[in-house]
Amino acid sequence: MTEHSEGGSLFQALKFGDWATVKEALIAKDIGAVFILAPMAMQLRADGVPIKVVYLGHRDGTAIVVGTDSSIRDFGDLRGKIVAIPSRYANQNLLMHRMMKEWNMPFDSIDLREVPPPEHPTALRSGSIDAYIVGEPFAAMAEVGGFGRVLYHTKDIWEDFISCVLVVRDDLIENERAIVQELVDGIAKSGKWLDEDLEHRMDAAEIAAVHYYQQPAELLKYVLSKPVDRVKYTNLAPLREDFDEIMNLAVEIGVLARPIAFEEYTDDSFVRPLDELDWDMDRLARDPGDGRGGRQ
Amino acid sequence: MKLRVILGALLWTLLITVLHVSLNVGWGELVQKAKVAIGVERARLIVGFLPVT
Repeated sequence: MTEHSEGGSLFQALKFGDWATVKEALIAKDIGAVFILAPMAMQLRADGVPIKVVYLGHRDGTAIVVGTDSSIRDFGDLRGKIVAIPSRYANQNLLMHRMMKEWNMPFDSIDLREVPPPEHPTALRSGSIDAYIVGEPFAAMAEVGGFGRVLYHTKDIWEDFISCVLVVRDDLIENERAIVQELVDGIAKSGKWLDEDLEHRMDAAEIAAVHYYQQPAELLKYVLSKPVDRVKYTNLAPLREDFDEIMNLAVEIGVLARPIAFEEYTDDSFVRPLDELDWDMDRLARDPGDGRGGRQ
Repeated sequence: MKLRVILGALLWTLLITVLHVSLNVGWGELVQKAKVAIGVERARLIVGFLPVT
């Protein structure tokens, strides 16, 4: 249980292992909100699931990773290779197709295979794939493990790349606006705090490693600092031009069944200017168990 | 006669309300909302995530 709100509401973070279960939980109303892949959010809405994108989870935070000793030096070298993607509904899949267009490569010139994100590093290490594209911390995992190197960070090939977005059920947007606003404000304030000081990122890595990711804190510290703009937590308002590009690409490659208008799946009414938001850190409870700045 | 009409209307309203809560809202949800409204419990929202950025 995590208490993120100065307003007193409780936000319970519920971890999932795969995207299919996330989708089912959303449809069954077991969860009110979820961080989900951007194209998947569009497809769910196109399928009639009553949800809307209200905010982004982060910007960037994805990399294309190849083996340390691989002969692959640029995107063109991926021609004919096997590359793992997290899901066909992932923006990482769209990025691969966007890059193939840029490099004048036919869409079938790379063998893209859906592999669950946690399995990407081991698949690369075993040699069953030649490269993978995935969100952190699984890209850094191969680097830290000494068997992978980053071919491209998304920040270098698709500026302000969007991976996960925050979607909320329509009934909550209509009837429980206060708690949705608390959630969005909390994410915005957390992001602002993370991006303003590297020390904050190191503190956050310690907490997230234990309470959310169940990964070594050193790995998350690496993700949040090597380089520091590897993943960004500000500029999280959903913008039409970003989503239209994603939507058009998704339609072009058949991930989305039909075009869907920005207004149909997005509600940006909860976005507030960052200068209006700030944490009162003294009001956040300390976790007596580990002596760190965790919230109880 | 007038009293019977009023009683009938009240009963009908009660019946519709009970059916609405049972079919559309759920008694557990109603109790939860009431507790939040009177300050016994805090509002709660479950937010799903995958441990990947």
